Amino acid sequence: MAEKVWDVIMVGAGPAALSAAIYTTREDLKTLVFEKGAVGGLAAVTDWIDNYPGFPKGVAGLEFADSLWAQAERFGTELELGEVTEIVDEGAHKRLKTTSGDFVTKTVLIATGSDYKKIGVPGEKEFYAHGVHYCATCDGAFYRDKRLVVVGGGNSAVQEAMFLTKFASHIDLLVRGDKFRASDVLQHELEKHKDKITVHFNTTTDEIVGADNKVTKVIGTDKLTGNKIEFETDGVFVFVGLSPNSAFLKNTKIELDEIGFVKTNQHLETSMPGVFAAGDIRSGATMQIASAAGEGATAALMIRQHLEGHTLSPEPSMVSN
Amino acid sequence: MPKNITIFTTNTCAYCSMVKRWLGAKGYQYEEVNLDEHPHRQQEALAISGQLTVPITVVTKHDDSQQVVVGFNLAQLAPAVA
Repeated sequence: MAEKVWDVIMVGAGPAALSAAIYTTREDLKTLVFEKGAVGGLAAVTDWIDNYPGFPKGVAGLEFADSLWAQAERFGTELELGEVTEIVDEGAHKRLKTTSGDFVTKTVLIATGSDYKKIGVPGEKEFYAHGVHYCATCDGAFYRDKRLVVVGGGNSAVQEAMFLTKFASHIDLLVRGDKFRASDVLQHELEKHKDKITVHFNTTTDEIVGADNKVTKVIGTDKLTGNKIEFETDGVFVFVGLSPNSAFLKNTKIELDEIGFVKTNQHLETSMPGVFAAGDIRSGATMQIASAAGEGATAALMIRQHLEGHTLSPEPSMVSN
Repeated sequence: MPKNITIFTTNTCAYCSMVKRWLGAKGYQYEEVNLDEHPHRQQEALAISGQLTVPITVVTKHDDSQQVVVGFNLAQLAPAVA
């Protein structure tokens, strides 16, 4: 029996993939989305999204993700829950090796996004899910009336620290630099939580200490004085930047940059013809949900051109509606 | 088909939604314990999984043996409910 051939398979189901899927399904392209984690990606596990256009009052990450999926599904996007392990170039077709078997497609969109980085200090791995966490919306509820440490100084750290005040009695926010990387708006919001959140600039996180499967303190260093500081805590939430979800490409001949993000040309096409990349996984991405959605739409239009047999010009071309 | 499936969740947990979505798509019935609505059951969730995280899926077989799956982990969840 002949194998089913999809027009496009999206690897990942975050804002880039689902935005692309809305476009491709509206073009009647047979579209399958593969997801091994949460539909909506990191956006789905974000407490609150305040900077996505069209939501004047902001929107909960989970609600945003559900809406994106509902829109993609309305036009016929299909979802497969599983993991892609390799993309094999068979010329006009690509074969995806997955935990659900092989899938054949004419084009692929890699939109696996990124995940929160680990800090790589003693205790971090040992106490994972026993006091060390990377998802406030998942695990924050276990810290009602407890003390917490949040590590990081970017948007995610500040946003999630504020979310955790719903549960925690007090939060020490450890920022390695001398100022936040978070937006001014978030920093202003943070001011409203100063009764519960104490910010420590110039403070490294050196070790997470505990006993009997429970975290008891974080040891850091005041970079200005060199003095060690101890923060008594029941848990640690880490938001120190993003790393690419590209490990599944280790057996695939697709060029990555030195960090592991997927390189593309100006048409969002990777080094494997017919395979595109969009969103946080793309080298040079701005790591914004709105950018990911925009890249998803652009990738969909490039995929359509590819499927129509158009040779993509070396320079970006105007795309009309 | 297992005898019973219980999922410990919270309101904001995206991976909880994924477990429910997957079980629903496969036609499995489950009982949900929302820890935001029933915070007094947190200790029970912790005792079962040993971890401070959700989702926790407890699959009870017909011989009353139990299998616990933490997170949205299809590699464990699929064989657990089979």
